[in-house]
Amino acid sequence: MKFSQTRNRILILLTVIIVFLFLGFFQKETKNFFYSISEPFQKTLWRTGANIYDFFSGIFQGNNLKKENEGFKLKIQELEADVASLKELKTENEFLRKSLDIGLENEFKLIFTEVVGNGTSEDILIIDKGSKDGILKDLPVITEQKILVGKILQADEHFSKVMLITNKESSFNGKIQEKEVEGVVKGSGNLRTYFDLLPKDKEIKEGDVVVTSSLDKAFPKGILVGTVKEVKKSDLEPFQQAEISPFFDIKGLKNLFVISNSQ
Amino acid sequence: MKEFLILILIFYILVLFQTSFLVYFNIKGFIPNLILIAVFLINLFEEKDRITGIYSAMIGGFFLDVFSEKSFGLYILISIVIAIFIKYVIKRYVRVPSFKRA
Repeated sequence: MKFSQTRNRILILLTVIIVFLFLGFFQKETKNFFYSISEPFQKTLWRTGANIYDFFSGIFQGNNLKKENEGFKLKIQELEADVASLKELKTENEFLRKSLDIGLENEFKLIFTEVVGNGTSEDILIIDKGSKDGILKDLPVITEQKILVGKILQADEHFSKVMLITNKESSFNGKIQEKEVEGVVKGSGNLRTYFDLLPKDKEIKEGDVVVTSSLDKAFPKGILVGTVKEVKKSDLEPFQQAEISPFFDIKGLKNLFVISNSQ
Repeated sequence: MKEFLILILIFYILVLFQTSFLVYFNIKGFIPNLILIAVFLINLFEEKDRITGIYSAMIGGFFLDVFSEKSFGLYILISIVIAIFIKYVIKRYVRVPSFKRA
Protein backbone atom coordinates (compact mmCIF):
# COMPACT_ATOMS: atom_id res chain seq x y z
CA MET A 1 0.00 0.00 0.00
CA LYS A 2 2.70 2.33 1.06
CA PHE A 3 4.80 1.37 -1.93
CA SER A 4 2.03 2.10 -4.43
CA GLN A 5 1.38 5.43 -2.77
CA THR A 6 5.00 6.41 -3.16
CA ARG A 7 4.95 5.20 -6.74
CA ASN A 8 1.84 7.27 -7.40
CA ARG A 9 3.48 10.32 -5.98
CA ILE A 10 6.60 9.82 -8.03
CA LEU A 11 4.46 9.40 -11.16
CA ILE A 12 2.56 12.61 -10.44
CA LEU A 13 5.82 14.41 -9.74
CA LEU A 14 7.28 13.18 -13.04
CA THR A 15 4.24 14.30 -15.06
CA VAL A 16 4.35 17.69 -13.41
CA ILE A 17 8.05 18.05 -14.24
CA ILE A 18 7.38 17.05 -17.86
CA VAL A 19 4.55 19.59 -18.11
CA PHE A 20 6.81 22.33 -16.76
CA LEU A 21 9.61 21.38 -19.16
CA PHE A 22 7.13 21.44 -22.04
CA LEU A 23 5.99 24.92 -20.98
CA GLY A 24 9.65 25.93 -20.76
CA PHE A 25 10.20 25.04 -24.42
CA PHE A 26 7.31 27.29 -25.38
CA GLN A 27 8.27 29.99 -22.93
CA LYS A 28 7.43 32.92 -25.21
CA GLU A 29 3.93 31.62 -25.82
CA THR A 30 3.52 30.69 -22.14
CA LYS A 31 4.60 34.12 -20.94
CA ASN A 32 2.44 35.88 -23.51
CA PHE A 33 -0.56 33.79 -22.47
CA PHE A 34 -0.09 34.57 -18.78
CA TYR A 35 0.58 38.27 -19.41
CA SER A 36 -2.57 38.63 -21.47
CA ILE A 37 -4.80 36.95 -18.91
CA SER A 38 -3.26 38.83 -15.99
CA GLU A 39 -3.01 42.24 -17.65
CA PRO A 40 -6.41 43.56 -16.45
CA PHE A 41 -5.81 42.30 -12.88
CA GLN A 42 -2.29 43.69 -12.76
CA LYS A 43 -3.29 47.07 -14.14
CA THR A 44 -6.09 47.32 -11.58
CA LEU A 45 -3.78 46.29 -8.74
CA TRP A 46 -1.09 48.75 -9.92
CA ARG A 47 -3.60 51.60 -9.89
CA THR A 48 -5.16 50.52 -6.59
CA GLY A 49 -1.68 50.44 -5.08
CA ALA A 50 -1.10 53.97 -6.37
CA ASN A 51 -4.35 55.23 -4.86
CA ILE A 52 -3.78 53.60 -1.47
CA TYR A 53 -0.20 54.85 -1.39
CA ASP A 54 -1.34 58.40 -2.23
CA PHE A 55 -3.97 58.27 0.50
CA PHE A 56 -1.58 57.09 3.23
CA SER A 57 1.34 59.24 2.18
CA GLY A 58 -1.01 62.24 2.41
CA ILE A 59 -1.83 61.34 6.00
CA PHE A 60 1.66 60.45 7.19
CA GLN A 61 3.56 63.22 5.46
CA GLY A 62 1.21 66.04 6.41
CA ASN A 63 3.91 67.77 8.44
CA ASN A 64 6.43 67.70 5.67
CA LEU A 65 3.99 69.07 3.12
CA LYS A 66 4.13 72.61 4.47
CA LYS A 67 7.91 72.68 4.42
CA GLU A 68 7.99 71.14 0.98
CA ASN A 69 5.42 73.66 -0.26
CA GLU A 70 7.55 76.59 0.83
CA GLY A 71 10.57 75.08 -0.91
CA PHE A 72 8.55 74.61 -4.08
CA LYS A 73 7.32 78.22 -4.02
CA LEU A 74 10.90 79.46 -3.97
CA LYS A 75 11.83 77.02 -6.71
CA ILE A 76 8.91 78.21 -8.86
CA GLN A 77 10.09 81.81 -8.60
CA GLU A 78 13.58 80.79 -9.63
CA LEU A 79 12.26 78.73 -12.53
CA GLU A 80 9.96 81.53 -13.71
CA ALA A 81 12.94 83.83 -13.95
CA ASP A 82 14.77 81.14 -15.93
CA VAL A 83 11.78 80.63 -18.24
CA ALA A 84 11.62 84.34 -19.02
CA SER A 85 15.27 84.46 -20.02
CA LEU A 86 14.95 81.19 -21.96
CA LYS A 87 12.00 82.55 -23.95
CA GLU A 88 14.16 85.39 -25.12
CA LEU A 89 16.86 82.95 -26.08
CA LYS A 90 14.31 80.82 -27.93
CA THR A 91 13.15 83.67 -30.14
CA GLU A 92 16.74 84.63 -30.76
CA ASN A 93 17.60 81.02 -31.56
CA GLU A 94 14.68 80.70 -33.99
CA PHE A 95 15.68 83.93 -35.70
CA LEU A 96 19.28 82.76 -36.07
CA ARG A 97 18.21 79.35 -37.33
CA LYS A 98 16.02 80.98 -39.97
CA SER A 99 18.77 83.31 -41.07
CA LEU A 100 21.25 80.44 -41.24
CA ASP A 101 18.65 78.15 -42.84
CA ILE A 102 18.95 75.31 -40.32
CA GLY A 103 15.79 73.36 -39.50
CA LEU A 104 14.81 72.39 -36.01
CA GLU A 105 16.09 69.11 -34.65
CA ASN A 106 13.92 66.13 -35.37
CA GLU A 107 11.47 65.37 -32.61
CA PHE A 108 11.33 61.82 -31.32
CA LYS A 109 8.86 59.33 -32.66
CA LEU A 110 7.13 58.03 -29.58
CA ILE A 111 5.14 54.88 -28.91
CA PHE A 112 2.67 55.27 -26.06
CA THR A 113 2.54 52.42 -23.53
CA GLU A 114 1.02 51.72 -20.16
CA VAL A 115 2.74 50.04 -17.24
CA VAL A 116 1.27 46.61 -16.52
CA GLY A 117 3.40 45.65 -13.54
CA ASN A 118 6.78 44.95 -12.12
CA GLY A 119 8.93 41.95 -13.00
CA THR A 120 9.77 39.43 -10.29
CA SER A 121 13.24 40.82 -9.88
CA GLU A 122 13.34 44.48 -8.97
CA ASP A 123 14.11 47.24 -11.42
CA ILE A 124 12.22 45.61 -14.28
CA LEU A 125 8.87 46.88 -15.54
CA ILE A 126 6.39 45.16 -17.83
CA ILE A 127 4.63 47.37 -20.42
CA ASP A 128 1.65 46.61 -22.62
CA LYS A 129 3.22 47.01 -26.08
CA GLY A 130 5.46 44.51 -27.83
CA SER A 131 7.26 43.66 -31.04
CA LYS A 132 3.96 43.77 -32.96
CA ASP A 133 3.67 47.47 -32.09
CA GLY A 134 7.18 48.19 -33.36
CA ILE A 135 9.09 47.88 -30.10
CA LEU A 136 12.60 46.53 -30.39
CA LYS A 137 15.31 45.59 -27.92
CA ASP A 138 17.42 48.46 -26.50
CA LEU A 139 15.01 51.27 -27.42
CA PRO A 140 14.97 54.03 -24.76
CA VAL A 141 11.92 54.51 -22.53
CA ILE A 142 10.97 57.92 -21.13
CA THR A 143 8.10 59.50 -19.21
CA GLU A 144 5.79 62.28 -20.36
CA GLN A 145 8.19 64.83 -18.87
CA LYS A 146 11.12 63.48 -20.92
CA ILE A 147 12.71 61.79 -17.94
CA LEU A 148 14.76 58.70 -18.70
CA VAL A 149 13.29 55.50 -17.24
CA GLY A 150 15.34 52.79 -18.90
CA LYS A 151 15.55 50.71 -22.04
CA ILE A 152 13.77 47.74 -23.52
CA LEU A 153 15.28 44.50 -22.33
CA GLN A 154 13.00 42.00 -24.04
CA ALA A 155 10.26 42.56 -26.57
CA ASP A 156 7.66 39.79 -26.72
CA GLU A 157 4.75 39.85 -29.12
CA HIS A 158 2.36 41.98 -27.08
CA PHE A 159 4.40 42.86 -24.01
CA SER A 160 7.90 44.09 -23.29
CA LYS A 161 10.18 44.26 -20.31
CA VAL A 162 11.88 47.54 -19.47
CA MET A 163 15.20 47.53 -17.64
CA LEU A 164 15.16 50.57 -15.37
CA ILE A 165 18.28 52.73 -15.11
CA THR A 166 18.49 51.55 -11.51
CA ASN A 167 18.95 47.92 -12.58
CA LYS A 168 22.35 46.50 -11.67
CA GLU A 169 23.09 45.69 -15.30
CA SER A 170 22.28 49.14 -16.61
CA SER A 171 25.09 51.56 -17.45
CA PHE A 172 25.32 54.48 -19.87
CA ASN A 173 27.19 57.74 -20.39
CA GLY A 174 25.86 60.77 -18.59
CA LYS A 175 26.99 64.28 -17.91
CA ILE A 176 26.28 67.08 -15.52
CA GLN A 177 24.14 69.74 -17.07
CA GLU A 178 25.88 73.04 -17.78
CA LYS A 179 29.24 71.61 -16.71
CA GLU A 180 31.36 69.57 -19.03
CA VAL A 181 31.72 66.69 -16.58
CA GLU A 182 31.15 63.31 -18.15
CA GLY A 183 30.84 59.99 -16.38
CA VAL A 184 29.06 56.67 -16.38
CA VAL A 185 25.64 56.29 -14.77
CA LYS A 186 25.29 52.82 -13.30
CA GLY A 187 22.40 51.17 -11.54
CA SER A 188 23.00 49.67 -8.14
CA GLY A 189 19.70 47.82 -7.72
CA ASN A 190 16.76 48.48 -5.41
CA LEU A 191 15.83 51.69 -7.25
CA ARG A 192 19.20 53.40 -6.74
CA THR A 193 21.77 54.71 -9.21
CA TYR A 194 25.22 56.22 -8.99
CA PHE A 195 27.50 58.29 -11.16
CA ASP A 196 30.88 56.63 -11.63
CA LEU A 197 34.22 57.46 -13.26
CA LEU A 198 33.96 61.20 -12.62
CA PRO A 199 37.32 63.02 -12.89
CA LYS A 200 38.60 63.97 -9.45
CA ASP A 201 39.54 67.52 -10.32
CA LYS A 202 35.99 68.51 -11.32
CA GLU A 203 33.77 69.94 -8.65
CA ILE A 204 30.37 68.35 -8.26
CA LYS A 205 27.72 69.66 -5.92
CA GLU A 206 24.62 68.21 -4.39
CA GLY A 207 21.60 69.02 -6.53
CA ASP A 208 23.48 69.11 -9.85
CA VAL A 209 21.29 67.80 -12.66
CA VAL A 210 22.47 64.73 -14.56
CA VAL A 211 21.43 64.26 -18.20
CA THR A 212 22.31 61.72 -20.88
CA SER A 213 25.44 62.55 -22.82
CA SER A 214 26.05 62.68 -26.54
CA LEU A 215 28.76 60.04 -26.12
CA ASP A 216 26.13 57.44 -25.48
CA LYS A 217 24.64 55.75 -28.52
CA ALA A 218 21.83 53.98 -26.69
CA PHE A 219 20.05 57.12 -25.52
CA PRO A 220 19.48 60.47 -27.22
CA LYS A 221 21.45 63.29 -25.58
CA GLY A 222 20.02 65.72 -23.09
CA ILE A 223 17.36 63.53 -21.49
CA LEU A 224 16.93 64.11 -17.76
CA VAL A 225 18.25 61.38 -15.48
CA GLY A 226 18.33 62.68 -11.90
CA THR A 227 20.01 64.94 -9.39
CA VAL A 228 23.24 64.37 -7.48
CA LYS A 229 22.41 63.32 -3.93
CA GLU A 230 25.76 62.68 -2.36
CA VAL A 231 29.36 62.99 -3.60
CA LYS A 232 31.86 60.35 -2.51
CA LYS A 233 35.52 61.22 -2.76
CA SER A 234 38.22 58.90 -1.60
CA ASP A 235 41.99 59.28 -1.79
CA LEU A 236 42.34 55.64 -2.66
CA GLU A 237 40.08 55.75 -5.69
CA PRO A 238 41.29 57.28 -8.94
CA PHE A 239 37.83 58.69 -9.69
CA GLN A 240 35.07 60.21 -7.61
CA GLN A 241 31.57 58.82 -7.40
CA ALA A 242 28.22 60.41 -6.75
CA GLU A 243 24.91 58.95 -5.74
CA ILE A 244 22.05 60.02 -7.99
CA SER A 245 18.42 60.21 -7.01
CA PRO A 246 16.56 59.50 -10.25
CA PHE A 247 13.85 61.92 -11.39
CA PHE A 248 11.36 59.15 -12.05
CA ASP A 249 9.55 57.58 -9.16
CA ILE A 250 8.39 54.02 -9.76
CA LYS A 251 5.34 54.78 -7.64
CA GLY A 252 4.14 57.41 -10.06
CA LEU A 253 4.72 55.55 -13.31
CA LYS A 254 1.55 54.87 -15.27
CA ASN A 255 2.16 55.95 -18.85
CA LEU A 256 5.49 55.65 -20.61
CA PHE A 257 6.83 56.43 -24.07
CA VAL A 258 9.24 54.35 -26.10
CA ILE A 259 11.44 56.37 -28.48
CA SER A 260 11.38 54.45 -31.74
CA ASN A 261 13.81 56.59 -33.77
CA SER A 262 16.64 57.20 -31.36
CA GLN A 263 19.47 55.73 -33.43
CA MET B 1 -5.98 17.39 -7.47
CA LYS B 2 -8.16 19.87 -5.59
CA GLU B 3 -5.20 20.80 -3.45
CA PHE B 4 -3.12 21.33 -6.58
CA LEU B 5 -5.69 23.71 -8.10
CA ILE B 6 -5.99 25.67 -4.85
CA LEU B 7 -2.19 26.02 -4.73
CA ILE B 8 -2.13 27.28 -8.33
CA LEU B 9 -4.81 29.86 -7.54
CA ILE B 10 -3.09 31.04 -4.35
CA PHE B 11 0.31 31.38 -6.01
CA TYR B 12 -1.19 33.16 -9.01
CA ILE B 13 -2.82 35.73 -6.72
CA LEU B 14 0.42 36.10 -4.76
CA VAL B 15 2.52 36.70 -7.88
CA LEU B 16 0.06 39.29 -9.22
CA PHE B 17 0.14 41.02 -5.86
CA GLN B 18 3.92 40.95 -5.74
CA THR B 19 4.44 42.30 -9.24
CA SER B 20 1.95 45.14 -9.10
CA PHE B 21 0.51 46.13 -5.74
CA LEU B 22 3.55 45.65 -3.51
CA VAL B 23 5.75 47.87 -5.68
CA TYR B 24 4.11 50.84 -3.98
CA PHE B 25 4.99 49.58 -0.52
CA ASN B 26 8.62 48.67 -1.05
CA ILE B 27 11.02 49.14 1.82
CA LYS B 28 13.94 51.17 0.47
CA GLY B 29 13.45 49.65 -2.95
CA PHE B 30 13.19 46.12 -1.61
CA ILE B 31 10.06 44.17 -2.52
CA PRO B 32 9.43 41.02 -0.48
CA ASN B 33 9.23 37.82 -2.50
CA LEU B 34 5.85 36.52 -1.30
CA ILE B 35 6.12 33.31 -3.29
CA LEU B 36 9.41 32.20 -1.77
CA ILE B 37 8.11 33.11 1.70
CA ALA B 38 4.97 31.04 1.06
CA VAL B 39 7.01 28.07 -0.23
CA PHE B 40 9.23 28.33 2.84
CA LEU B 41 6.29 28.40 5.25
CA ILE B 42 4.40 25.55 3.58
CA ASN B 43 7.48 23.34 3.71
CA LEU B 44 8.22 24.30 7.28
CA PHE B 45 4.80 23.51 8.68
CA GLU B 46 3.57 20.53 6.70
CA GLU B 47 3.72 16.98 7.92
CA LYS B 48 6.99 15.19 7.36
CA ASP B 49 5.84 12.57 4.87
CA ARG B 50 3.74 14.82 2.62
CA ILE B 51 5.08 16.38 -0.54
CA THR B 52 2.68 19.30 -1.04
CA GLY B 53 5.67 21.51 -0.26
CA ILE B 54 7.52 20.27 -3.34
CA TYR B 55 4.46 20.85 -5.55
CA SER B 56 4.04 24.32 -4.13
CA ALA B 57 7.71 25.03 -4.83
CA MET B 58 7.19 23.99 -8.44
CA ILE B 59 4.05 26.05 -8.95
CA GLY B 60 5.50 29.07 -7.15
CA GLY B 61 8.75 28.86 -9.08
CA PHE B 62 6.81 28.54 -12.32
CA PHE B 63 4.88 31.76 -11.69
CA LEU B 64 8.07 33.59 -10.68
CA ASP B 65 9.64 32.39 -13.94
CA VAL B 66 6.69 33.62 -15.99
CA PHE B 67 7.13 37.16 -14.71
CA SER B 68 10.92 37.06 -14.67
CA GLU B 69 13.27 38.19 -17.42
CA LYS B 70 15.78 35.47 -16.62
CA SER B 71 15.82 32.15 -18.41
CA PHE B 72 12.86 29.90 -17.76
CA GLY B 73 13.30 27.34 -15.01
CA LEU B 74 15.69 29.25 -12.79
CA TYR B 75 13.13 30.08 -10.12
CA ILE B 76 11.56 26.61 -10.32
CA LEU B 77 14.98 25.19 -9.58
CA ILE B 78 15.69 27.65 -6.75
CA SER B 79 12.38 27.06 -5.02
CA ILE B 80 12.56 23.27 -5.37
CA VAL B 81 16.07 23.29 -3.91
CA ILE B 82 14.82 25.44 -1.01
CA ALA B 83 11.88 23.07 -0.43
CA ILE B 84 14.02 19.94 -0.51
CA PHE B 85 16.61 21.53 1.76
CA ILE B 86 13.99 22.48 4.36
CA LYS B 87 12.43 19.02 4.17
CA TYR B 88 15.82 17.40 4.61
CA VAL B 89 16.80 19.56 7.58
CA ILE B 90 13.45 19.06 9.30
CA LYS B 91 13.47 15.31 8.72
CA ARG B 92 16.99 14.94 10.06
CA TYR B 93 17.40 17.49 12.79
CA VAL B 94 14.27 19.37 13.84
CA ARG B 95 10.95 18.66 15.43
CA VAL B 96 8.30 21.27 14.86
CA PRO B 97 4.56 21.06 15.48
CA SER B 98 2.88 20.44 12.13
CA PHE B 99 -0.68 20.95 10.99
CA LYS B 100 -2.41 17.59 11.22
CA ARG B 101 -5.31 16.76 8.99
CA ALA B 102 -8.61 16.25 10.83
